[in-house]
Amino acid sequence: MKRIASIALLAALAAAPLFAQAPVVPELKGKSVEITIWTHEDANRAPLEKGYIEQFTAANPGVKVNYVTYPSSKIREIVTTGFAANQGPTVFNLELFDEYPFITNGRVAPVDYKMIGVKSQKDLEAKYLPGMISPVVDGGKVYGLPLELTNWCVYLNKKIFRDAGLDPDKDWPKTWEDVMAVSEKIVQRNGQIITRRGFDFRYPYYLTSVVPMVEQLGGELVAKDGKKAIVGDAAWLKVLSYFRDFGPNGKNLGSPTYTAARNLFDLDKNEVAMSLSGLYQEARMKGKNPAFYESKDWMVIPYPQWKDAKKKVPNNYYGHYYMVNAQSAKLEQQAAWALLGYMLSHGEEYLSKVAVVQPTKALMDSATFKGMPYSDVFAKDMAAAHMVYYGASSSKIDASLKEAFESVMLAGVEPQKALDKLRKDVTAILEEE
Amino acid sequence: MKGKRTVRSLEKGRARWGWAFVAPGILFFSIFSFYPILNAFYTSFFNKKLLSLKAPKFIGFQNYERVLSSPDFWNSVRATAVFAAGAFVPLFLLSLLFAVLIVSRKRFQRTAQMALYSPAVLSSAVAALIWLLIFDPRGLANQFVNLLANTPGIDHKWLADATMVQLSTILVYVWKYVGYFTILFVTGIGKIPQSVNEAAVIDGAGPVQRFFRITLPLLRPTTVLVSVMILIQCLKTFSTQYLFTQRGAPLGPINVLTLNIYNTALRDQNLGRASVMSVILFLCMLLLSWIQIRFSRSEEAEL
Repeated sequence: MKRIASIALLAALAAAPLFAQAPVVPELKGKSVEITIWTHEDANRAPLEKGYIEQFTAANPGVKVNYVTYPSSKIREIVTTGFAANQGPTVFNLELFDEYPFITNGRVAPVDYKMIGVKSQKDLEAKYLPGMISPVVDGGKVYGLPLELTNWCVYLNKKIFRDAGLDPDKDWPKTWEDVMAVSEKIVQRNGQIITRRGFDFRYPYYLTSVVPMVEQLGGELVAKDGKKAIVGDAAWLKVLSYFRDFGPNGKNLGSPTYTAARNLFDLDKNEVAMSLSGLYQEARMKGKNPAFYESKDWMVIPYPQWKDAKKKVPNNYYGHYYMVNAQSAKLEQQAAWALLGYMLSHGEEYLSKVAVVQPTKALMDSATFKGMPYSDVFAKDMAAAHMVYYGASSSKIDASLKEAFESVMLAGVEPQKALDKLRKDVTAILEEE
Repeated sequence: MKGKRTVRSLEKGRARWGWAFVAPGILFFSIFSFYPILNAFYTSFFNKKLLSLKAPKFIGFQNYERVLSSPDFWNSVRATAVFAAGAFVPLFLLSLLFAVLIVSRKRFQRTAQMALYSPAVLSSAVAALIWLLIFDPRGLANQFVNLLANTPGIDHKWLADATMVQLSTILVYVWKYVGYFTILFVTGIGKIPQSVNEAAVIDGAGPVQRFFRITLPLLRPTTVLVSVMILIQCLKTFSTQYLFTQRGAPLGPINVLTLNIYNTALRDQNLGRASVMSVILFLCMLLLSWIQIRFSRSEEAEL
C-alpha cells in the first residue's frame, strides 16, 4: 500500500508541471497590457517559453505577449540600438557582461518581489546558489532574474581517442600540457590543412574561457583594487605563448578560422575530438545527432589546469538574466515580472527540455539535474569557478583580449609585445570608466 | 510680349512639376542622410554614451583630440587606405576591360552583362558568407590555388594571415562590384558616336589604336565618374570586414573606418567618438566628390 501511495505521489509530482496553473495576477485583472520579449534563438527553449506564455495569458486575458527571437550573434546589437532609440522591449536577456551597462545606465527596472511571489531580496537570494543574484544587484536593488547559468567543460569523443591509439578513460587530458600533447597525437592534416582536430578553443570568448588559464597561474585581468590591469606577466606570457604554439604558426593544432569545434563535435564525423561547451550542448547533440547522444562514445571531462597551477580555476561561468525595461509603463513592468516569475518557476523543465541550468538550490538538488549525463562534472567545476568578469566596459576588454591573443596566434606578434599593448589598452579602458 | 509671358508661365508650370517630382527624393535625403550628417557633426562635440539617459556634456574638440591621437584610429585609416587602393586598381581595370569586351561582342552582350552584374544584386552579408565558406581552410580557395600552383596541402590562410585577410576582403569586393562598374563603362562607351569609330576604321586604325586614341579619351567623363564612385564605395566598405572578423579573422588588419565607427558606437557605446570618425570619413568623401565635379567641369570646358 505504501509503495502504491509513493508511486502515486511521484507520478503526481512528475505530472505537476504539465498541469501547472499560471497565476491570476490581481493587479492585471480587467486591464489591457501588451509586453514584448526579445531573446536569443534557441530551438528548444522557444516552444517551452511560448507554452508558459500561453498559460499565463489564458489566466490573465488582458495581457498580450509578443515573443521575438534573434540570432545570438545579433541580439546584443539589436537590444542596444533599441534602447538607444528609447524603443527597447519590455523584457530582454543578454549575457551578463553585455547586460551590466544596462544596470549602470539606469535602463532596467528593479525586480518587483510581489509579482514574482517572493517577500524580499533575502527571500529571493535564498532560492539561488550563493552569489548568483549579486551580479545584478546595484545600490541594494536586484535588477534581473537568472535565465541560465553556464559553465564549460570539455566534451570528448572516445572513438577518435581510440582511433589515435589513446585510451579515453586513462589518457583524457588533465592539464593544458596534456591538451597540447594529446592534440598532437590526434590531429590529422592534408599538408598544412587540418582535417581532424584534437582540441580547439572556443573563439572569441576570451573573458570566459582564457582568463581562467591565466588565473590558474596566479595572473589577474584586473587587480583587486579595480585599477591595475593585466597583473602577473609570467602567467599572461605563458598563456599567450601557449596560443602561439597551438595556432597555425606553431604546431598548427587549431585556429579561429576553422568551423567552431562544438558544432562539428555533435556531428561525430571524425573532425574534432574535444570541444568546450556547457551542459546545454547535450540537448543540442540530442537534437542534431541522437544516435551519437545515445551512444557511449562521448564523455565530459573537467576544464584542464596547468601542471604548475598555483590554484584551481575552472572555466568561468556566465549568466543570462531576464531584465525589464525601466522605461516601460508600471503596469507593463508588473505584467513582465509576473510572467517571468511564472516562466522561471519551471527550472526542471528548462533543464530537461533545453538543458539550461537555472542556478536554484532546488534544481541543483533535483533528480532531473543529477540524472543528466555528466552533470556532476559540470557541478564540480562550477563549485570551484567564479563568474566571468563583468563591468561597464567588459565587452571592450573582451575585444582587447581577442586582439592580443589572435595577434600572437595568427599575425606572429611576439607575446611580450602583445602583452604590453593589452595592458595599455585595458588600462585606458578602465581609466575611462 | 504675350509670347514671352506664355513661355514664362509654361516654364513656371514645369518648374512646379519639377519640384513635385524631386520633393520625395529631397524629403528622403533630408530625413535619412542630411539630418544624420548634421546630427553626427553636433554629437561629435559631446560626451554622448549610447545607453546613458543623462544629458550629454559639451566637451568641445576633446573627442577630436582623442580620436586623432589614437593609434587605433590611424590603423583604421591605414586599413581603409590599403583596402581602397587595393580594390581600386583591379575594379577599375577589370570593369573597363569587361566593358570593352562586352561592347566588342555582337552576341550574348546582355547575358554577359547579367552574369557580371549578378553578384551586385546579392546583399553584402550574403556575399561575405559565401566567401567565408570558400576561404575556409578546407574550402575552394585553397583547393583551387593549390591545383593551379601544384602545391597540394598548402593553407594560404585566407582569413588568418594579416596580409591574406586584406587580400581576401579586396577579392570579395572586386567580385561583387566589378559587374556594376562594367555596366557604367558599357553605358559610357555606348555614348561615343559610332561615326568617329567608323572614320577611324576608314583611316586604317586598328582596334588597339581605336581604343587608346578614340574610346579612352572620349570616355574620360565616365572614367572620372567611375573612379570617384569606386573610391567612395571603397571608403564605405563594412559588411565583408564585419563578417570576417565575426568568424575569427583578426580585426587589426581589416579594421576599416566604418568597422571602427560601428565598434566604437555599439560595443564601446561612445557615440561622440564614433561621430568624430564619421565626420572625418564624410569629409574625405566630400573632398573626393569635389574633385570629381572639378574634373567633370574641366572636361566640359575642354570639349
